[in-house]
Amino acid sequence: MFTQSLDFKTTDLNTFPFPFTSGNYRYSNDLKKLSNVNCIEVTPEYKLQVETKRRLLEEQPHIRFQSFSHTMEMQWEVLEMLIDMAADRYPEHFEVIKDGDKWTFKNHIFGETDSFVYGDASTLPNEPLDYIGRHFHNDFVLMVHRDSNFYLEVGQVSYAALFSANWNKGMSFDEIHAPVPFVSRKGDELADRVRKFLLSIEPGKPWTRINWNLMADRWDVNYETMDVWGPQRSEITPENAGKLVRLRVEEQKFYRMPRSNAILFVLNTQFLPLEDLTLRQEWFDLTYSVLQDIPGPMAEYKGIAPFLPQSVEYLRSIDEKKKAKINNK
Amino acid sequence: MYNSPVLFDKSITIVNKFTPRNERRKFVVISDQAGYDQAKSFTSEIEGTVPVECLSINGMEDKEEIKRLILSQKMGTQFYIAAAWNNAVMIFSLGVEAGLSEAEIQTVIIGPKRRYVYCMKCFEVSEVEEEAEIAECDHCKASLEIGPFYSIVREGYIGYPYIPIGKVEVGS
Repeated sequence: MFTQSLDFKTTDLNTFPFPFTSGNYRYSNDLKKLSNVNCIEVTPEYKLQVETKRRLLEEQPHIRFQSFSHTMEMQWEVLEMLIDMAADRYPEHFEVIKDGDKWTFKNHIFGETDSFVYGDASTLPNEPLDYIGRHFHNDFVLMVHRDSNFYLEVGQVSYAALFSANWNKGMSFDEIHAPVPFVSRKGDELADRVRKFLLSIEPGKPWTRINWNLMADRWDVNYETMDVWGPQRSEITPENAGKLVRLRVEEQKFYRMPRSNAILFVLNTQFLPLEDLTLRQEWFDLTYSVLQDIPGPMAEYKGIAPFLPQSVEYLRSIDEKKKAKINNK
Repeated sequence: MYNSPVLFDKSITIVNKFTPRNERRKFVVISDQAGYDQAKSFTSEIEGTVPVECLSINGMEDKEEIKRLILSQKMGTQFYIAAAWNNAVMIFSLGVEAGLSEAEIQTVIIGPKRRYVYCMKCFEVSEVEEEAEIAECDHCKASLEIGPFYSIVREGYIGYPYIPIGKVEVGS
């Protein structure tokens, strides 16, 4: 049975998408052009993350993958893009042999070889996006463009932050970004601006933005387990926050799919325990400054209100110790 | 289509009283026994303004007749439904199947509306009281807090699982 205890963190800090650029964070339209169009990344945690993701998909298929039956062609398009990117960026890890419609995909990290007929889902063990998604640590969400909006028609989600692929299946971008449970949200207008921006994304010119959150000793927080993680959040203390609270960063990449015209969301989620922030003093200072300054409604919206004060208190104690050390020199 | 409108307690098509859409070329009024008086009062009100066709039904057994009536209409027809919940849902669904949009339908519900919650533990739907804020899932018995969001795919309001005070549960 899957355990939610977080058994990995980013170890190569150069790959951690640190989210803050100033000591004061507010919602903003922070979309940027993606400099490296290829979304495939193999980090030191690749194997651990992919194995965990596969376990989740096996144990909780209805929670972790949802699709409509009419999306097969769109899913094949995504499969093709991801396979080509993987083989292009990491030829030592991934290989594809295309003999007409007969394809063979090799994942050398896992020592796996799969042959299938492109376009024939019966030759794959899972639906095309579900199959290829199990080779990469990212979450994948396919939003179909219709009537100036986007509708979630395929989702493979293993790192949920107040999200559920099962619940959000078929919902529009606006519905998904409706105010979170029982909390008024300042970001509503931002969601509308982001939706309008997504409408303008062109094929071959992907964009990116970074979202962040804090996680209290959890891999993810979805609606399905609200009864479990809801009460657990108050078990965080200033003494254990350094180990148990992680800065969760979600690097979101948006691709316009040229054939289906859908937008593919590729989400790279990474974690850094608060205690590891001291490895880069600038990151520690920025995070401490940002967290001290989070308005109440934003903390509620992000679901971090019950353990934010303890997290800030932990950072304050570290900061004071550091300052005392400097003064004693 | 998965995103076709469905009739639920807060549907925009549900009104307290019919409004004549005089810009339409024709009105079709469908009622069951419970909605007969409402339909009659409306047709009296609009008499002589727009051509009207009325159909009184008993229930499910009249499904084919309703379908025939809806499919035989031309574009520009406004539909009015006055019925108890189950019959209203049936008529509304037949209208949507035939390609009507919510703007082309007004519905007056006679009697109570039905409301459903989608359990995020077992992904089943349970019927709940109209004003209920919490419920117990009929299928897995999870305690659910009924959220404000409705899914036309799941045909229910989101039911967030929670542990009531004094009850202990284990999960991941």
